[in-house]
Amino acid sequence: MMAATLIKKELIMNVLTRGIRNAFRNVIRTFSLVVILGLSVGLSLAMLVAYQAVGKKIDSVKSSVGNTVSVSPAGVRGFEGGGNALTETQLMSVSKLAHVSSVTETLSDRLTTSNTNLVSAVEAGSLGQRNAGNSGQSFSFQGGGMPPGGAGDTIGNSNSTGTVTRTFTPPVTVVGTTNPSASAQGGTFTLKSGKTFASDSSDNVALLGTSLAAKNNLTVGSTFTAYGTTITVAGIFDSGSTFGNNQLIMPLKTVQTLSAQAGAITSATVNVDSITNVESVTTAAKKALGTAADVTNAAAQAETTIAPLENIQTISLYSLIGAVAAGAIIILLTMIMIVRERRREIGVLKAIGASNLKIMYQFMAEAITLTLLGSVVGIVIGVVAGNPITKLLVNNSTNSTTTQMGMRAGRSFERGAGRGFGGLQNSVTNIHGAVGWSIILYGLAAAIIIALVGSALASFFIAKIRPAEVMRAE
Amino acid sequence: MLQVTNLKRSFKSGDTTVTAVNDISFTVPNGQFASIVGRSGSGKSTLLSLLGALDKPTSGSISVDGKDITKLHDHALIAYRCEKIGFIFQGYNLVPNLTAVENVMLPMEFAGLAKAQRLERALSLLKQVGFSDDQMDRKPGKLSGGQQQRVAIARALANKPKLILADEPTGNLDSTTGKMIFDLLHDLARSENTTIIAVTHDLEIAGKTDTTFRLDDGKLAKGSQKGKA
Ligand SMILES: Nc1ncnc2c1ncn2[C@@H]1O[C@H](COP(=O)(O)OP(=O)(O)OP(=O)(O)O)[C@@H](O)[C@H]1O
Ligand SMILES: [Mg+2]
Repeated sequence: MMAATLIKKELIMNVLTRGIRNAFRNVIRTFSLVVILGLSVGLSLAMLVAYQAVGKKIDSVKSSVGNTVSVSPAGVRGFEGGGNALTETQLMSVSKLAHVSSVTETLSDRLTTSNTNLVSAVEAGSLGQRNAGNSGQSFSFQGGGMPPGGAGDTIGNSNSTGTVTRTFTPPVTVVGTTNPSASAQGGTFTLKSGKTFASDSSDNVALLGTSLAAKNNLTVGSTFTAYGTTITVAGIFDSGSTFGNNQLIMPLKTVQTLSAQAGAITSATVNVDSITNVESVTTAAKKALGTAADVTNAAAQAETTIAPLENIQTISLYSLIGAVAAGAIIILLTMIMIVRERRREIGVLKAIGASNLKIMYQFMAEAITLTLLGSVVGIVIGVVAGNPITKLLVNNSTNSTTTQMGMRAGRSFERGAGRGFGGLQNSVTNIHGAVGWSIILYGLAAAIIIALVGSALASFFIAKIRPAEVMRAE
Repeated sequence: MLQVTNLKRSFKSGDTTVTAVNDISFTVPNGQFASIVGRSGSGKSTLLSLLGALDKPTSGSISVDGKDITKLHDHALIAYRCEKIGFIFQGYNLVPNLTAVENVMLPMEFAGLAKAQRLERALSLLKQVGFSDDQMDRKPGKLSGGQQQRVAIARALANKPKLILADEPTGNLDSTTGKMIFDLLHDLARSENTTIIAVTHDLEIAGKTDTTFRLDDGKLAKGSQKGKA
């Protein structure tokens, strides 16, 4: 029993070694075949790399845009523009729409020096001073002299004989929200200490940005005054931006009550269950809110960004299929050629007692040897060429659309939906394709499959060769 | 004992039917050396491939030691070719990228012999056909026609077959070498008690064999089988 299996194993070894040796019978042919197969495998791998890299980028663009729809009162962006705030009743109708998973409602307000003891962590600077003249709020009168810290905006005042200097102090922004962790502006919300509040909370609590807390020496549990009321610091967060860290996040209800804007909402973010439904929810929300609100989403811009990437993905997929098919056809034709060439030899093998199966195994071993050699060359080509080819593809097909898209993005840019969107433009061309181990394994597996498919038809010809043909003269 | 009864093989190509072997019957006792002669196209090779189970007859039977090989299934046919038959061809038909020893070892591999035994027998067979040690590892391309045919004879003998079928084994060789090859076959057949059926054009060689069959247009010519002590 032992001996029998040993012999059997050894027979297979012989069939295999003969197949491997046969792969090198015609050195010139083997060399050219390996080079051609290498190119086809290399191209396949490069295309697979491009396909995956671009696919990853598409996913990240999609997720960075998110499946959200922004709702703001008509004519208002942040603190600019005018018009009337939205009401909770109006947003109730939006939250009832199909595919809406949740709605984050916020009411933004500004604290001025007259209703809070908080000091802004941001200096006015020259940009801030521009607001002193036209904002009409948050300025202080100072009797004569230049204010400390920054060039004053000195204007003549007809009512006074003296000179009034208005000094702008950047206000502290209050965001009343039903979802504190999604309400940090200019970055992502990370709670540093303390805890957040519930969405329906009406407590007099607040989350402070790190720099605002530091500037005012506040920690979790400390209190400060806003709207003439004592507010407790519930937590401190980092938004990752200077602007965001000068913010105060409070429960929506609390801000509505304290600022005497019951039921008012200045912006809302509608979360949609899937990115594919963003467009339909936008349309439905527009219909529900009518002229009272501006409803926008970033999906349109994302689509424009993704479109050329999807083109590249399609191109690389077709090239991948093409290259794999070319490799398969090359090995298939070569194996058929080799079988035809060795007709007589196959006949002899059959005449001296070889079964069809043994001869087929031998040719499969030969085909696999050839394809594996080609794959090794191809993997080298793929590793070297994968990233450059990906870059080349992406650059060529996005360059033309980037300028056009930049304009479009600029036109429809708005706080909220447009947030972080500028960076998206840059990152599109920042695709990095790399050949990983999984890709190499894919390549080798594909090579073996190609070799087996390639020898399948050859096997058919092997089976058809009649042993009696060896009797015929050459 | 090889017994051929009413053997017929016809080929259809389009409308015409060629009957290459036409109703042939004969017997060859074990250990005899028989030759087949006949004009080109008379059906010698066709008859040989039927005897070696390389081809199936249109009708008739071939019985080897009482067993009809025309009724064997594919698997048994392969075993029959492997174990009972040794082939020698006019064009030697060695596997070009295998050495002389490896060529001789090949049929033993298909028969399932262990490697050590294969090597041992292959070396001794090559020695029997007059090979020196340094020639055994040569590939066919580096051997003369006569040497290649010796390798082919060693290969045919590898599995100790009951029947050796040779199709013009000396056809590509000069007459002296051809005679040497035939003598070699003869001696080996004697020492291993093997039945040999060889096709030849060389009447001098044919005359030395135990029996000669003359084929004429697929038919066995009358009175061609001669007995010899
Ligand atoms: N596979 C085939 N298909 C069609 N006809 C065939 C086939 N094999 C042999 N024949 C025909 O059968 C006849 C006998 O052929 P065969 O090869 O047996 O002759 P032969 O006696 O060996 O000739 P030679 O001495 O030239 O080798 C010929 O007419 C040949 O054309
Ligand atoms: Mg012939």
